[in-house]
Amino acid sequence: MNLQQALSHSITRNLDRIAFVINEQEYTYKDLAESISGIRKIIQEKVSDNEVHIGLIANDDIQTYAAIFAIWFEGKSYVPLDPESPEERNDNIIKQTNIRSIVDSSDVVVYPDYNTISSTMAKGNIDDLEPKQVRDKSIAYILFTSGTTGIPKGVPITFSNLIAFCDAFFDFGIQIDENDRCLQMFGLTFDVSVMSFMLPVLKGARVYTIPKDEIKFSYIFELIQDERLSYALMVPSILHYLRPYFDEIDSPYLKYSLFCGEGLPVDVTEEWAQRLPNTKIMNVYGPTESTMLCTGYTYDKDAKKTHNGVVSIGKPWKGVETIIINESNEILETGKKGELCLAGSLLTPGYWMNPEKNEEAFFYTEYNGKKTRFYKTGDLSYIDADGDIMFLGRIDFQAKVQGGYRVELSEVELYAKEGLHKINAVAVAYTNGVGSTEIGLVIESEKFDLTELSEYMKAKMPAYMIPSQIKFMETFPLNVNGKIDRKELTTIF
Amino acid sequence: METTEIKEKISEALESVLGHSNFETNDELTAQDVDGWDSLSHMMIITKIEEQFDIKFKLRDLNKLKNLGSLVSVIQGKI
Repeated sequence: MNLQQALSHSITRNLDRIAFVINEQEYTYKDLAESISGIRKIIQEKVSDNEVHIGLIANDDIQTYAAIFAIWFEGKSYVPLDPESPEERNDNIIKQTNIRSIVDSSDVVVYPDYNTISSTMAKGNIDDLEPKQVRDKSIAYILFTSGTTGIPKGVPITFSNLIAFCDAFFDFGIQIDENDRCLQMFGLTFDVSVMSFMLPVLKGARVYTIPKDEIKFSYIFELIQDERLSYALMVPSILHYLRPYFDEIDSPYLKYSLFCGEGLPVDVTEEWAQRLPNTKIMNVYGPTESTMLCTGYTYDKDAKKTHNGVVSIGKPWKGVETIIINESNEILETGKKGELCLAGSLLTPGYWMNPEKNEEAFFYTEYNGKKTRFYKTGDLSYIDADGDIMFLGRIDFQAKVQGGYRVELSEVELYAKEGLHKINAVAVAYTNGVGSTEIGLVIESEKFDLTELSEYMKAKMPAYMIPSQIKFMETFPLNVNGKIDRKELTTIF
Repeated sequence: METTEIKEKISEALESVLGHSNFETNDELTAQDVDGWDSLSHMMIITKIEEQFDIKFKLRDLNKLKNLGSLVSVIQGKI
């Protein structure tokens, strides 16, 4: 059975169950099926067979989710467009993918100059859910990530990538069934949104989304407490925001807490584990280029595996190969630090129409006797003797100071945070007036006297590692994915 | 504490975080009506208000703060 058929069967099997809860409104699988079927009918009428990529205005409503399944069941791929994104960026995405038709559930059509598929009123017969036959190599979605040049890079993911992903995800040991209540906290332009709605639908479970005008972390708290969420994939910054309120959290129902997207600090993880003794904590890792996630670590309070206070990202999932390389693309031995590279059935076919980037990011090397294609993640890591991967930060988070000393910014952060007693801090590398690299520290707090911190850092780190400037910021800026915006923090020095 | 006095203090908090006072303190005022009141400044505003009234919001309170009127009544319930 292919992915579309599996999804279609699950929807048909669970018609009376609740599929989505959006803005406190419940939608059954029957509602979802009717909407999918209605949108398919419009696509069949208005979109030609040779048009493969369909734009999708990334709203938070049942029609938008239904549109994704409708597009997939028609054998096409979707390209999400965030209506709040700068127009220029969306225009660029539309141009790159040659989009002519856009599914839109907005009251006022966002792109009136295109072939608009209005999904709001679309309603069809639930018997028309049989997907069209598509090749597994066909593209399921193209997501755009920010490129260093300012032009967004497209990452196409195929249906065979998604099938391999589902296989790997469930092989990791997570069980979801029709009784589960799952969190979908991500915007649809962010890759892990796909697993957050697709996996529950595959199992007939419930998906809870977060309305755009709500505060994410406190809304998640209410979903955990009141709606008895059983599965949640979150970014670690949610834990930072919730931390002052941990004593209000107490739910026996949350079976799985998964974290992705940035380093997971062990101290806050410990506290989360204490508050929610029934939850299995998993630190999962993966870039968009390798279909959302590809390694995972199950937190064990009695055998914590960490580096510089950050939890391990564990072992490669089924069908994934991991190696660590040096600057000459040579494979390093166990324990050596270098760039993490990934291979296997989750890898994207390559950046969308971007031969230069593909040349930079992908390479072939001999691995286990076979010529294998690897993707360079840009993440600095090492693999320990048990095969667990330690995430040290971005390669570009590694700074070379005072003429060649290598400094891992995560290490500076570790000691700074120890000296700050639970106050959050971020270390950045910035270029000073004479063009050399220095280390700066930003503390998330109002101003206070730094004597104690300075003494502590001097006691722990060699002089070249000590931040040469320290600044305060009451709240850290977050980027569109909800991660701390380190680039932004670098600009204050 | 009188409603007007509470509103005045909230207004001070907003001004000190946002650096302007281009808003009217009526009950229907929401974050969307005020320049610069986004998810980032929201936490700073909340912290400032907690300090000014010497109160601590519960997580549940945070989701109830839909407009200025609801903020005033949550504060009244705490002081």
